[in-house]
Amino acid sequence: MTAIAAERYTGASIKRSEDPRILTGAGRYVDDIKLPGMLHAAFVRSPMAHARVLSVDASAAQELPGVVAVLTGADLDAITVPAPDPLLALIGGAGPTAEFTLLATDKVRLVGDPVAIVIAESRYLAEDGCELVEVDYDDLPPVMSADFALDPSSPPLFANLGDNISRPHSRNEFGEVASTFANADRIMDFHIDVHRHQNVPMEGRGCVASYDADLGLMTFYAATQSVHLTRNGVATRLGMEPDKVRVLAGDIGGSFGLKIGASREEQAVAAASRHLGRPVKWVEDRGENLTVSGQAREESFDVQAAISNDGDLLGLDVKMVIDTGAYPGMGTMVPAIIEGMLPGPYKLAALGFESTGVITNKATYVAYRGPWASETFIRERILDLIAKDLGLDPVEIRLRNVAPRTDPPAMMITGRPLAGTTTKESLERVAELVDLPAFRRRQAAAREQGRYLGIGVATFIEAAPGPRSEGPGGALGMESMRLRLTEDGIVELFTGQMPHGQSHQTTLAQIAADEFGVPFEQVRVVVGDSDVVPFGLTGGSRSATMTGGVTLHGTRQLKAKVLDFAAHLMEVSAQDLVISDGNVWVRGDPASAITVSEVAGRAAAGQFGADVDADLEVEATFDGGQGGWSGGTHCAIVDVDAETGLVKVERYVAVEDCGALINPAVVEGQIRGGIAQGIGAVLLERSAYSEDGSFQSATFMDYLMPTACDIPRIEIEHLETVPLDADVNFRGVGEGGMIVAPPTLVNAIEDALSPFGVRIYEQHLPPARILELIAAADPGQ
Amino acid sequence: MADITLTVNGAMRTGSPEARKTLADFLRDDLDLTGTHVGCEHGVCGACTVIVDGRPVRSCLMLAIQAAGSEVTTIEGLASDGELSTLQQAMWDSHSFQCGFCTPGFVMQATAFLSDHPDAGEQQIREALSGNICRCTGYQSIIDGVLLAAERARELS
Repeated sequence: MTAIAAERYTGASIKRSEDPRILTGAGRYVDDIKLPGMLHAAFVRSPMAHARVLSVDASAAQELPGVVAVLTGADLDAITVPAPDPLLALIGGAGPTAEFTLLATDKVRLVGDPVAIVIAESRYLAEDGCELVEVDYDDLPPVMSADFALDPSSPPLFANLGDNISRPHSRNEFGEVASTFANADRIMDFHIDVHRHQNVPMEGRGCVASYDADLGLMTFYAATQSVHLTRNGVATRLGMEPDKVRVLAGDIGGSFGLKIGASREEQAVAAASRHLGRPVKWVEDRGENLTVSGQAREESFDVQAAISNDGDLLGLDVKMVIDTGAYPGMGTMVPAIIEGMLPGPYKLAALGFESTGVITNKATYVAYRGPWASETFIRERILDLIAKDLGLDPVEIRLRNVAPRTDPPAMMITGRPLAGTTTKESLERVAELVDLPAFRRRQAAAREQGRYLGIGVATFIEAAPGPRSEGPGGALGMESMRLRLTEDGIVELFTGQMPHGQSHQTTLAQIAADEFGVPFEQVRVVVGDSDVVPFGLTGGSRSATMTGGVTLHGTRQLKAKVLDFAAHLMEVSAQDLVISDGNVWVRGDPASAITVSEVAGRAAAGQFGADVDADLEVEATFDGGQGGWSGGTHCAIVDVDAETGLVKVERYVAVEDCGALINPAVVEGQIRGGIAQGIGAVLLERSAYSEDGSFQSATFMDYLMPTACDIPRIEIEHLETVPLDADVNFRGVGEGGMIVAPPTLVNAIEDALSPFGVRIYEQHLPPARILELIAAADPGQ
Repeated sequence: MADITLTVNGAMRTGSPEARKTLADFLRDDLDLTGTHVGCEHGVCGACTVIVDGRPVRSCLMLAIQAAGSEVTTIEGLASDGELSTLQQAMWDSHSFQCGFCTPGFVMQATAFLSDHPDAGEQQIREALSGNICRCTGYQSIIDGVLLAAERARELS
């Protein structure tokens, strides 16, 4: 286990330092920014899914008192330069490059596509102005399904591409696919669909751009997961040097993958501010958020499984089609991650994987908490379907297929080592906690009375950050941090993490306080200013390991420097000094103690010779150490009302392994929040389009969010079984709940409906769909 | 424009909002009370909940001029002397929130509910808060905070 210091904040549910401000209304979110002379923006948006823009007439809007400017797509095109999406530029997408303008000029590609920006003295007036902008459209046939997009006769959304393929078809094979299938006892086929749903943070996107023409500097207040990616997105689009753009972010009202980089709207707001020489604010409303901020997950899979009569999953052959929506985004990267993760913690020895990405007239695919989650969904779904076919118990089939933890570790057939995974332990513990035999008896008794109870388990591993390996997935990347002891004795951490609910200002301070030997309150975590924090991104569940690790090692470096300086002051050897409780003292001589603050003050004030380093600041990096997997097994017990189709989640148990916990309450909050989103995805949420391309879930009365009555108490147990690294064994838990809750719940629902012979090959199961499944089922199955 | 006078967090405030201006926008823009958050602008998410004359109200669905003469309490009014209310303290102790955007609405809704139902149990609390949406927490930590506050309030009385 990680050994940090004797008196530990790490591992305790320390109360969050973020809370006093958010509980009193003193948080500072982007919509709270008010600058002198600030104007407000609203966008004219397309009512059509796919149309040519014939003309845009802004004259009436421009005459409205209070409207300062209307900039059309053509106007913005003249004052900006083409630029790639900042996330795509960082990670690299797969596929052709679509050509399009910042706001629509030649055509619109989805309902809500921005056509013009109206800037006015208030948001009310800006929206009034939008009403007066006349846009003449010429309808084109909308491309609303992957099947149509794959059809070469579908009208291409982007003229330069000539078709609607965002990621060209590819196929990769791992292991001996053909012979595995040729020699298998059985081959089963499945078609599985995952529906479109979306992030829906309670705060939508938004920004305030403020350009200073005299200095040539843009100050951009953002809600973002990375101030640097936002800076890059703004700078490249405006043709500015990145160091002329300063991005500031305060509190952020959630994101879940949505707020990465700079959206087209945010870039347009920045361009408008520079054009007008005044600050401009834009905060999207909920309709904009649901319609155009981005959506995720619309994927379909043809899965062929090679299995033995005993229930060994020998091989998979998967054909995936992903609907990446209208504009380039994360969607084209997702298939490769799904391919790599498909084997999960299992012994799967052969995998064929092919994928195609298609462009449709729907919202752009964005990252949403565990963007690759469908690999877990289809794997855990078919394991249950196979188990039913073979008469096996769902826990039994998983235990049978889990790769044993060996030294050296077993390798996933796609290349990564299964180092330190505890899938077997979590499966066994879940089975114990829910007492499976007792549940089966209760289930049988309930069925006698016409009540349909069901149990579902599913297991997952998450590369948070993943094990050190030379294979695909490669290096863990680097995380940087600047640390200093301020002249008043505060240990200050500058991190590129941009927390939006993850509590980094608490958790990183816990680690640093322990490592340095100061009270928790004597650590300050600085975030959200691209001029002072190092490059970083909160995402991919990376911060526990990567930022926890750089905090630990960086604090060690800073402490060594402080001790060297204190040794000079105190005329002793640094080896003889210790720091605890904010005091520096000679080991064995408490009377020698001086405070860390005094040491800091002396360093700041004093004059020292060249041999004394009084600059109490370090820059640290961390490569992830040995890394490791997060993972676990979840179990849901549901009660399905066969008359109404309503599903009640009676009990939900999660046994999780994220290594050493920094702050258990924070960890459990992440797990529960992810599970709640997973429950919402299955029972309620769907981003719905009609065939003509209109968007049908643009309000919270149509896009149903889970409430306090829908989410049960969630029981969590932690495994901390296998430390891999000498120092840093914290692993991320941001995404696991959302990854594994959907298959857990769907497995439970299918189990509940097994007397009807229901088999489920999809993820969205609102009451109406449950009733359809029951009506269509074959009770003989 | 209409001149209105109302009491906000115990202080007399005046303003001249446009007739169409929502109470939420009036509080945020005209009175600089940005603690009240706007989450959906159509009355579903509850983030903008404030207490008007003792009752929880969606300030995105109420016009500012409708609040003329009323007594309004916002999130900024609960710890005005610098000390957290029993509920705020219990929510801090319970790690109730993550991103904090829905927080003002939950705190105001639960404050109003607990003052009328000091003995509420978990299911009642869940139902009372089911008109407020939180995307981060899965609600359990929020419910635990309200239960803890109710317990502490009972001990005090």
